[in-house]
Amino acid sequence: MGSLLDKIDIILISTIRMSVPITLAAVAGVFSARAGIMALGLEGMMLAGAFCAALGSYIAGNVLIGLLAGIIGGVIISLFHGILTIRYKVDHVISGIGLNLLASGITTVLLQTIWGNRGNSPEVNSISPIHIPILGEISPLVCVMILVVILSWIVIFKTTFGLRLRMVGEHPKAASTVGINVNRVKYISVIITGILAGLSGAYLSIDHVNLFVREMTAGRGYIAVVVNILGRYNPVGALGGGLLFGFADSIQLVLSGDNIPGQLIQMIPYIVTLLVLMFAVRYIRPPAGLGKNVED
Amino acid sequence: MNAVEMHGISKEFPGVKALDNVDFSINKGEIHALLGENGAGKSTLMKVLYGMHQPNMGTISIKGKDVRINSPIEAIKLGIGMVHQHFMLVPVLTIAENIVAGAEPKNGLFFDLHKAISEVDKLAKDVGFTIDPRKKVEELSVGERQRIEILKALYRGVEILILDEPTAVLTPLEVKELFTTLRQLKQKGMSIILITHKLHEIMEVSDKVTVLRDGKTIGTVLPKDTSANELANMMVGREVKMGVKCRSTNVGDKLFEVQNLCLKNGDRFCLKDINLYLRKGEILGIAGVEGNGQTELIEVLTGLRKPDKMCLKIGEHEISNNAGADEFIKSGIGHIPEDRGERGLVLDMSIKNNCILGYHRINRFIKKGIFLNNVIGKYARHLIKTFKIKAVNEEIHVGTLSGGNQQKVIIGRIFAQNPEVVIAAQPTRGVDVGAIEYIHHKMIEFRDEGKAILLISADLDEIKSLSDRIVILYKGCVVAQGVTDDFTDTDLGILMTGGKISNEER
Ligand SMILES: Nc1ncnc2c1ncn2[C@@H]1O[C@H](COP(=O)(O)OP(=O)(O)OP(=O)(O)O)[C@@H](O)[C@H]1O
Ligand SMILES: [Mg+2]
Repeated sequence: MGSLLDKIDIILISTIRMSVPITLAAVAGVFSARAGIMALGLEGMMLAGAFCAALGSYIAGNVLIGLLAGIIGGVIISLFHGILTIRYKVDHVISGIGLNLLASGITTVLLQTIWGNRGNSPEVNSISPIHIPILGEISPLVCVMILVVILSWIVIFKTTFGLRLRMVGEHPKAASTVGINVNRVKYISVIITGILAGLSGAYLSIDHVNLFVREMTAGRGYIAVVVNILGRYNPVGALGGGLLFGFADSIQLVLSGDNIPGQLIQMIPYIVTLLVLMFAVRYIRPPAGLGKNVED
Repeated sequence: MNAVEMHGISKEFPGVKALDNVDFSINKGEIHALLGENGAGKSTLMKVLYGMHQPNMGTISIKGKDVRINSPIEAIKLGIGMVHQHFMLVPVLTIAENIVAGAEPKNGLFFDLHKAISEVDKLAKDVGFTIDPRKKVEELSVGERQRIEILKALYRGVEILILDEPTAVLTPLEVKELFTTLRQLKQKGMSIILITHKLHEIMEVSDKVTVLRDGKTIGTVLPKDTSANELANMMVGREVKMGVKCRSTNVGDKLFEVQNLCLKNGDRFCLKDINLYLRKGEILGIAGVEGNGQTELIEVLTGLRKPDKMCLKIGEHEISNNAGADEFIKSGIGHIPEDRGERGLVLDMSIKNNCILGYHRINRFIKKGIFLNNVIGKYARHLIKTFKIKAVNEEIHVGTLSGGNQQKVIIGRIFAQNPEVVIAAQPTRGVDVGAIEYIHHKMIEFRDEGKAILLISADLDEIKSLSDRIVILYKGCVVAQGVTDDFTDTDLGILMTGGKISNEER
């Protein structure tokens, strides 16, 4: 009996912990999608964020600098995506996938050149948990995540910027004919995407663990793309989706060791992704201008 | 002092000189119509005024002050508003949001939705529109959407309002309402520029007309000093015969027959027990107020929608109710769709590719599953020539053609394939008088070859001048049918609005 309660407790805590990176990345995706930009590069932004955060923390010995570096890493990749898709009208899928490959390549090379190791960085300072009643020890980034979700929702649905953002994502021509600077809105949203995706990556390397591991995002960026859709391009929905996947992720922890092959257990989040893609996503209407490059 | 003065405006696109030294001016409190063939440069001239295109040459002055208008933002600041040929509205947002976007009322950092709603409400009442600002735009009819576009401009306090073919998609009643609004705005001192192809509308509502041809100004005249025929001559440069009656002299056997067509939407009948037939060598017109089942009828008769019940025969060949649109095309039923942007064309594809849409599987264009590019290119050039499509070459996107030329691409595509029957919905919507004459001529020629056309049009004059017989549709039912010349205008009016006349079954 005691062990069951323990298990529930473990699942609860780890669901929340695992949901942080996915939720943050999915909210990042919401800003892009609402501006009509397909954020397939989330994986790359997260990976760059994770790497830069570890590097920042390693060099400065300070986790705040690490966080900042992580954010900058995410923004660099997302700005690339922005410039390619907005200025040069590159296909969003190609740019996104290309940047993911680029981020994966560069982080591997830098891992080798900076630390002389192919697999992982040395241990760096990581963010220490804070104590919260009931939940106990928990990462401050969990609070940041909740704050991000609430603030993003307010920005998107309650501010003038949000209205313009949604208009740009639905019908960029209509937006420009009423005097909205479409490209400015798009770049702002791309930068917000980079900040949040970088933060999500930083969480992986200097909070969840305390080092950078090659390919440590493990497809979470792609999962975030699906969560973004599942959450109907809404930050609150993204949190819901993030929790679902956090749960799928955390089941691994309790099931492992119970005579089930580890590989099968590790498949769970990806199977959930497939199921969501097959059954839920069909009925969700994306912003009408999503992924389209308009001639100006 | 004129409200707007455009002088010596020239604008070139790659390969086309859209505007060549054009002069245009409008006074305060004036409705000024802009007239010209498809591709004459009307929309382009107005886009220059609205800051969407930069002219290569020329000057613009607003209320006597020389200005350069680099973007719609600057145009709006100068008091210029534009309602576009294709609506610029976001369907998933509410009316209020669509109207205020770009100039939103604020409450601190936040968007003040309540204020937006009340301001829109007040604005609408001022011009006599009844709308609920909380409704989403996707729930609105075309006429209502247009009012939202007008409100969008008024909300920004414009003094100069440009309307690009506002009446092309409206029902006659909606046109009347629009004109009432325009007159009212004119009373308040607004300058209104109206683009339309319908000459009688110009005669009815405008104070002045400027005619463009091939990117040049032909002249400005007062409607009271001229006539519709004279205007047509000015814009086309030759005599145009409008609305000539030309009845079929050689009607043959039944070619196309629809029996007991029923279509339900939920529990409600959209179409009920429709029986109609087309004989060789005749045009059958469907008259009716829009929204009485025309769209559904077209969709069923072209295989885009499955009826609940129907027996459809073309010649001796019966088409099953489950057949897809390609089956209909193969059986020789051509379709000129109601909405060219939605169903008729893929705007982002070349003219060449659009010319073979729907016929892309026929042997002439493919060999072992691969497109014969040269053959298709040659075919497209042939269509451009025979159907007088104004285009630089066949490789450019259809979307860059002027509205009327887009329509000609569709007309060409269908008639060149020599079908047996053509379902022609709004074949001349947004098309200039010269091109209307041409399209009508094509249709009559086609008919005289012993083929048949089912004509659906919101323009009653078009129905009356072309059709040999008329079917009147009201609330999804055929309320009367007979020979066109047996119906008077009054009869038609009564029948179309659900009234009854004696001896209606002819
Ligand atoms: N963005 C563009 N790129 C290239 N050519 C263009 C573009 N816009 C317009 N044109 C060309 O400029 C000419 C004038 O077009 P415009 O749309 O002004 O005609 P219009 O008078 O409004 O015709 P319609 O009555 O059919 O709407 C046409 O030949 C058209 O093909
Ligand atoms: Mg036009």
